[in-house]
Amino acid sequence: MSRRVKLSLYGLLCVLCVPFVFPTWWMVTSSVKPINEIFAFPPTLVPDRWDLTSYSRVFELQPFAQQYWNSLYIAAVVTVGTMAVAAMAGYAFARIRFPGQNVLFVVVLVGLLIPSEVTIVPLFQMFHDFGMSDTHWPLILVPIFGAPSVLATFIMRQFFITLPGELEEAARVDGLGRFGTFYRVALPLARPALGAVAIFTFLHSWNLYLEPIVYLSTPANFTLPQALTQFVDAYGGPMWNVQLAAATMTALPILVVFVLAQRQFIEGLAHTGLKG
Amino acid sequence: MAATQLRDRVAGHTAARRGPFWTIPRRDALVGYLLISPQLAGSVLFVLLPLALVGWYSLQEWNVLAGTFDFVGGANYAKLLADPKMGEVLTSTTLFSIGLVVLNLALALLLAILLNQKLAGTTFFRTLFFSPVLVSLVAWTIVWQFLLQGDGGINGLLGAVGVDGPNWLRGDATALLSVVVVQVIKNVGLNMVLFLAALQGVPRQLYEAAELDGANAWVRFLRITVPLISPTILLTSIITVVGSLQVFAQIAVLTQGGPGMSTTVLVYYLYQQAFQFRHFGYGATLSVLLFLIVAALTLVQWRMRRKWVFHES
Amino acid sequence: MKALGKLAAVSLTTLLAVTACGGGETPVAQGPQPLRMTIWTSNEAHLKLFNEIADEYRKAHPNVGSITFDTIPFENYTTTITTQIAGGKAPDLAWILESSAPDFVGSGALAPLNSKIENAAELVPSTTKLWQRDGELYAYPFSTSPFGMFVNTDLVKAAKQKFPQELIKAGQWDWEHVSKVNAAVAKDGKQGMTILDFDYKGWDNLATVWGGWGAKAYSDDGKSCQFNSPEMVEAMTFLHTSIFKDKAMPGPGTVADFFAGDSAMVIAQISRAAMLKEGTFDWDLVPLPSGPKGKYAVIGQAGIGVLKKSPNAELATDFLTFFTNPANSAKLAAYFPPARSSLLTADTMAKTNPLLKPDQLQQVVIDGIETGVVKPSHTGQAELAQTIRAALDPLWTADADVKTVLDGVCAKIQPMLGA
Repeated sequence: MSRRVKLSLYGLLCVLCVPFVFPTWWMVTSSVKPINEIFAFPPTLVPDRWDLTSYSRVFELQPFAQQYWNSLYIAAVVTVGTMAVAAMAGYAFARIRFPGQNVLFVVVLVGLLIPSEVTIVPLFQMFHDFGMSDTHWPLILVPIFGAPSVLATFIMRQFFITLPGELEEAARVDGLGRFGTFYRVALPLARPALGAVAIFTFLHSWNLYLEPIVYLSTPANFTLPQALTQFVDAYGGPMWNVQLAAATMTALPILVVFVLAQRQFIEGLAHTGLKG
Repeated sequence: MAATQLRDRVAGHTAARRGPFWTIPRRDALVGYLLISPQLAGSVLFVLLPLALVGWYSLQEWNVLAGTFDFVGGANYAKLLADPKMGEVLTSTTLFSIGLVVLNLALALLLAILLNQKLAGTTFFRTLFFSPVLVSLVAWTIVWQFLLQGDGGINGLLGAVGVDGPNWLRGDATALLSVVVVQVIKNVGLNMVLFLAALQGVPRQLYEAAELDGANAWVRFLRITVPLISPTILLTSIITVVGSLQVFAQIAVLTQGGPGMSTTVLVYYLYQQAFQFRHFGYGATLSVLLFLIVAALTLVQWRMRRKWVFHES
Repeated sequence: MKALGKLAAVSLTTLLAVTACGGGETPVAQGPQPLRMTIWTSNEAHLKLFNEIADEYRKAHPNVGSITFDTIPFENYTTTITTQIAGGKAPDLAWILESSAPDFVGSGALAPLNSKIENAAELVPSTTKLWQRDGELYAYPFSTSPFGMFVNTDLVKAAKQKFPQELIKAGQWDWEHVSKVNAAVAKDGKQGMTILDFDYKGWDNLATVWGGWGAKAYSDDGKSCQFNSPEMVEAMTFLHTSIFKDKAMPGPGTVADFFAGDSAMVIAQISRAAMLKEGTFDWDLVPLPSGPKGKYAVIGQAGIGVLKKSPNAELATDFLTFFTNPANSAKLAAYFPPARSSLLTADTMAKTNPLLKPDQLQQVVIDGIETGVVKPSHTGQAELAQTIRAALDPLWTADADVKTVLDGVCAKIQPMLGA
């Protein structure tokens, strides 16, 4: 590649990344700005004066550490659960022939088509009947078994379909049954697709907003996106700097984990993943 | 493991009694049913049943506050057909979804191609492009609300290059465009990563061979890249189309459906009717409509896949 | 619906048994009953006070097992309550926003309170109007917060304009003069006047301006649209001129935060004074300027109602009686301007509002509550608000024709009012 082409590619990348980076940069830096500087025009790129009090306010106003833990453990359980459910269903739909398969697949796919606003009322009624409102159960059970996991199942099915047909034959020669083939042979190969599913699922659970607001009512049970809306003054006016500090704390650790794990995630995908 | 043993035992046991009943296809089928059972049970319980209830609600006049729940038959559907706002809502929805899907897929593919070049530092850029995915939606929209003001950051940037930017969220077309762009930048990273993974799976030799045959970059892209990453294109386009019809929090924060009705897409209208205006019956009717639209679009994409998707033929 | 619900219940139990998860509802039996009140504040001082009052009540009433205050974010408040009611989890007591008051009061969802509220005779009539139907009170107006004009006197001084107090003394505290002051400040580079939470969407906050012209959104019986009345056209023309010609108010798409020192004046509820505690500029709070129709006041309100659906409605009503009795009202007045006339004296108010001077309390708060008109609301307000918002959008451009736009508003909403 010529020097000129390279330079122009870099130039293009730099221009393109401005709208991706600036909002986050603004969020992080504004969280340490005094409130009147947040509204300054033009926006300041680096705080003129540092003010870290908003970070301590986050913990004073809400049981933020508890809420952090809630979001974290719910997302973790949902991720692991969804990976299991989706890998099993995806494998079966892709590689096993059984009567009614297509119909059942379509039945499952219906979940992919439903925005959560559509079913929230009947779901709330169901969970309330079970005394599960203001618990984390609906936030765990619905994503693992319900509509949100269908995307994961779909991704897994699309992956398993691309595996070579000799796979089963080889496994059978080795004396493995159907389940053994799935668990010992196909699943290890599916690690990259599972990685994609894990990221999708984790982020979905981590960002869930409508459901926690409807189901949860005790601050100690709240999840992070819900908590973010609670940083308002006594009259409902948002406390921008505290809100931004809390938002920064919810985003940065995830960002760091991604930076550390992305090699495995993306390059893993590239080896055997959702390739063409 | 336990399941395998159990299955073997069950199979063995029955096999002893019934002889050849547990043939390999039958065993396979049993395992198949077992493997899909958690997902299937969840679908029935958390998707189909609530959906059936929504269908039932759509036949009711349901006043939550007064506690009345009266069967009205097709009245809500008649209301839907006569709703003077439906025209505007469907127009906004169509424009929004087309804009979002086209921009998202095109940008995702462009970024993936750029990042797939042999350049130092692509990992760094990849992280930057992906980072908005990780920022909470609430924070993301709040920030953009600031940036899109008449004298906000965007127009500040445009002013620096001599362009007098519009008042983004106040014009019909620019408001729709703004919501689309904000949503695309937030989520394009996911599609980008999927495309990137797919691109890295395309064998380099194919390109080299095509180059020897004298194919230019565009032809190589159309003849090699697109067919080989077509399963990923199918996946991302289904996800994105479905997702485009479900965007509502951003609209609620940025425009509240305005100016006029220009950003009132169907899901936002549904949310307004059901939750803000408390017309649960009519909201359920709109839900049914939304469901049918999404289902039809997905079905069309799914049907068309055999025509162009590489592995599915 | 019931049958399907049962079916769902049975299937869910099966699923839970399979996945071996426990969890069940506390059986509703006799014995101490729990009470739940939904609120939108998450302020710790507020919650502490509520819990103190609740604890005191429970000491005398062992039949009340617990009293919990559930915070729901303001943005999603009415939505969430509605979903919970639809899902069968109605709270026993709920805060109610003024905009949804007609819906709650009119639907029969609330339990009557007339005979329950202690010393109800002293409730200022302007504060109870919204919460009554056929003479019966359905929610207690626990917070009645008048709108006033906060003024950044530093900015006014810098622009070499007269202070509000001077204008008041000269009998010139009217919209014409206020507009000039704001235009002068805006010329200096800062912004003139803003209306809190308006932002060219929350149009009901404009009532704080058009009240001066005697304009109204709906007729008193709620049956006809008043947006194209001559008063309203005149008031809106004034606003339009202020925004687009005089530049006395920042235009659409410009955010100017008064509390950060960006603008000269803001119309806001007096409770916002708390945001000026750490203020970096000198400020004043004065009544709304008078309009062509003279002096006027506007109030925002919140009420507490008992949901009739609650199995503990009787207990809840009894608790509400206690929560709002004169002694507790006095405590609550620290944060929520009271509706009881015995508490509406500058002296009592001063104790709990240290940021405001006695004459500010008298002029803005006490006079405001006694003469105030509540922000516009109507049955089905949410849908009306949304329709009006959309129909008003064309007004916020420099070349809009005010009368045409306002006629358009009425064309859209009149059919909804008739229904």
